[in-house]
Amino acid sequence: MENEKSMMSNEESLRIIRSMIESTKQDLRDNGSWFLLWGWLVFIACMTHYILMEIGYDKPHLAWMLMILGGVLSFIKGLREEKSQKVKTHIDEFMKHVLVAFLVSLFIVLGFMSKLGLSTYPLIMMVYGFWLYISGGVINFRPLRIGGIINWVLAIAAFFVEFELQLVLLGAAVLFGYIIPGYILRNNYNKAVKLNPNTSKESYV
Amino acid sequence: MFNDLNPLLHQQLRLSVMSLLMNVKEADFTYIREKTGATAGNLSVQINKLAEAEYIQVKKSFKENYPLTTCSITSNGRIAFEEYVTSLQEYLKPTK
Repeated sequence: MENEKSMMSNEESLRIIRSMIESTKQDLRDNGSWFLLWGWLVFIACMTHYILMEIGYDKPHLAWMLMILGGVLSFIKGLREEKSQKVKTHIDEFMKHVLVAFLVSLFIVLGFMSKLGLSTYPLIMMVYGFWLYISGGVINFRPLRIGGIINWVLAIAAFFVEFELQLVLLGAAVLFGYIIPGYILRNNYNKAVKLNPNTSKESYV
Repeated sequence: MFNDLNPLLHQQLRLSVMSLLMNVKEADFTYIREKTGATAGNLSVQINKLAEAEYIQVKKSFKENYPLTTCSITSNGRIAFEEYVTSLQEYLKPTK
């Protein structure tokens, strides 16, 4: 950058404004890592629960112990991202509130599992749908919005089926809501990094 | 009738900083330096000028024992930037 005395044309001013907007836009890209982490953990837990039930194991719900691993991994990942985060966008701030709303809703459903009985998984998918649809809208990413709609449809379907099939539906819900959009996000992000190596390697959503 | 372009904003580095901060909630000094490609000394001087005009807010803190400078745009800065862009658009409009 030049010093104070350098002359600047009006076109140059516009170019600077455009290039700064473009350069921060690159940093709004999400690399999909959170979606992939939780998508795979929930998917594996669902499928393991289902298989353990099918083979007659008496404590199939132990598969959900994986969520503790998810919690620990998220804590470490969150700390590392916080440390390396050099910029906070308005989207970050908004998504923080949405994340709190999502987690509170999810924990209320999980906390009242015993009362909710067979309605638990449909409600979890409903909460997932809510989170995915909003996230997709905020970062303007259609696969997440579609994932949210699929979660809502599967939530309705899950009200009418047995528990075993609910597990399969929940697996499908995270596959379409988290895993597939997560890989598309990662792919788009890698392409953006290739085109512009200055793109920040952090996830902001 | 054209309005004069705000001289505080009509400078490459200060305009870069303001354009960048318009787009984010807050940004570290190092992030702004990376994005603008400016030297630390020059950036520091221009940031001080913007802060003196109350266009940006500068927060100094520590992160893992290292000093951390975080900048964010103020409502005055936002208004000044918007006025600057409007004036710029007036200048760039094709004359009849």
